[in-house]
Amino acid sequence: MTLFHAFENALNGEKDNPYHEWRRSAIDRLQHLSFPRRKDEDWKYTPVTRIVTPNYSVPTKGKVSQEQLDATRIPNFDGVRLVFVNCQLRKEFSDWEDLPQGLTVMNMNEAFQQPAIRQSIEKLLTDNTEYGKDPFVTLNTAFSMENRVFHVQKNTKMDRPIHFVYLNTEEDQPYFANPQKLFLIEEGAEASFVESFQSTAPNRAEYFNNIVNRFQLGANARVHHYKMQNESRAGFQINNTEIFQGRDSVYSNYTADLGGRMVRNNLSAYQKGENATTNLYGGFMGRDQQHFDSHTLVDHAIPHCQSNELYKGILTDSARGVFNGKVVVHKDAQKTNAFQQNSSLLLSDKAVMDAKPQLEIFADDVKCSHGATIGQLDEDSVFYLRSRGLTDQKAREALQNAFLLEVMERIPNPALKQYMADLITQKFEDATTIEAL
Amino acid sequence: MLNIQNLSASIEDTQILRGLNLDIQPGEVHAIMGPNGSGKSTLANVLAGREEYIVGDGSKISFLGEDLLEFDVDERARKGIFLAFQYPVEIPGVTTATFLKEIINSVREEQGREKLSPPQLLKLMREKIKLVDLPQEFLKRSLNEGFSGGEKKRNEMLQLALLEPKLAILDETDSGLDIDAMKVVANVVNDLRQKDRSFIIVTHYQRLLDYIVPDKVHVLHQGRIVKTGDKNLAHELEEKGYDWLKQEAAATS
Repeated sequence: MTLFHAFENALNGEKDNPYHEWRRSAIDRLQHLSFPRRKDEDWKYTPVTRIVTPNYSVPTKGKVSQEQLDATRIPNFDGVRLVFVNCQLRKEFSDWEDLPQGLTVMNMNEAFQQPAIRQSIEKLLTDNTEYGKDPFVTLNTAFSMENRVFHVQKNTKMDRPIHFVYLNTEEDQPYFANPQKLFLIEEGAEASFVESFQSTAPNRAEYFNNIVNRFQLGANARVHHYKMQNESRAGFQINNTEIFQGRDSVYSNYTADLGGRMVRNNLSAYQKGENATTNLYGGFMGRDQQHFDSHTLVDHAIPHCQSNELYKGILTDSARGVFNGKVVVHKDAQKTNAFQQNSSLLLSDKAVMDAKPQLEIFADDVKCSHGATIGQLDEDSVFYLRSRGLTDQKAREALQNAFLLEVMERIPNPALKQYMADLITQKFEDATTIEAL
Repeated sequence: MLNIQNLSASIEDTQILRGLNLDIQPGEVHAIMGPNGSGKSTLANVLAGREEYIVGDGSKISFLGEDLLEFDVDERARKGIFLAFQYPVEIPGVTTATFLKEIINSVREEQGREKLSPPQLLKLMREKIKLVDLPQEFLKRSLNEGFSGGEKKRNEMLQLALLEPKLAILDETDSGLDIDAMKVVANVVNDLRQKDRSFIIVTHYQRLLDYIVPDKVHVLHQGRIVKTGDKNLAHELEEKGYDWLKQEAAATS
């Protein structure tokens, strides 16, 4: 509770802002919510005790060097950079003046002053089945000091992607940050958003990024959303991303989970109009005691909609992975096409993967498929590659890369595809240098 | 080049090679024939360094003056041993061209030869792929993925031609091939025959040896070489089968 008071004090002076009532109600609700326990089915494999136990402080502004900032650049990638140090926007490091045509960025208070936007936001914040129940989303609402609205105008194609650069520093005390982003993508608009997560102390920095993203896609809107997660190996992330899709819209998510001590993704897409398409692609690579949990939901409520889901991961040492892929096809959602595949490679005896496809189908004229495989590296393939002169390590890396390639191939942007490949290679190479946490 | 003395090997407690001796001089082509289960593929795999095989005490293999058994499979490859697989493995996600570039330079580096630049590598691959009669597009495909049996064997020969090993072992490369594909195999071998390169051709059929004329033909039976001759021995085996040799071997042991 001391943490809450610290935040409340930090928020003093915002009381007159209209968003404050949302915050107030979230703070009130927190009194009645408790953190999930192992007996909660949705958190069965991911003990949050480890995440919520540290005595967190409010994040400082953080000190970063030019070199550290440069290291966050994605080679050959022409994104408009918005740099967040410890989840706080730093305009002086950002391409703040170069925002693409058709995109307006507002803070919550500015957004609430525009009646049409305010209405959309209120809908986005309430039109959510988990609203009020999920303690982490509620925490975020209560304490998000960095909340922004990204509004893309009707029929606009954003000519450059937005690159959200999250850079976390190492501080004396673990800290807790609650960034919140709302995306309003109007009818016929197209946009790409990239989130990258890094730390200036990749092996040591202790923090908890509790992230909330909400997307509203108008009719025929298209969004590519990338998450290149390479948090500190002592950092935690819980990522709640919810997408509400209008008719004929396409939302594609590409997630690479490589860093972090424990990472939980709650990625939920709600299709609200006909012929909406949801693509969820994820790759992860865990070692030591890393823990990656991806809970996805595709909610098919309307006829003639599609979803494609592919998650692949590699786990070694004592790393643990969880995939829970829920697909709900409501009674009226006839002619739904839903595809889901989850495959994992376990490279050690102690690595554990829990895979749970969860299909709830109430319509009768649908095409739904799912598959989950958990296997090991094929030793015949290792031998074949080695027999041509590749070292054992190179051979295994090549095969692991090949395994994740199926996910990487879904990434339409070549620079980002290469970036993910590089992050994976780097992770193989760092294997021997990272101290046990 | 290669000297094998008293080689014994087993897999999962089954003894397969039982005191095999073989000496191969630089530039020689040796054919190894023999009935099913005689240990031909085991010999090929033991030479390449497959770890599932347990090599018995007292076995000696010397390759270019070094103790081959001291080295792992990839070290052997970089020192110049090449095994053309009987059943090449399909590896989805690893592009043939990328793979070839990597292995050519890793072998060249180990042997103190100059590494090739990407354009040089590409030129070399384009040139050699003609030799095995595969379309250039195969370079862009995943390694062996969806290749027919013949295409996989041609791909093995492509790798052989690119890596220019000192000792090449062909493990039943001709099995299951049509005549045209078999001629490709023979052409690559004949093309690469030179005084400091040796070949071990493991085969079930005499047919290949009409195109690759061996210096010596050995018959393997119950894990030992029971007869050695020249190319005429292969013809004799083709006509008479292996039974007479089995009886001969039984009589002398």
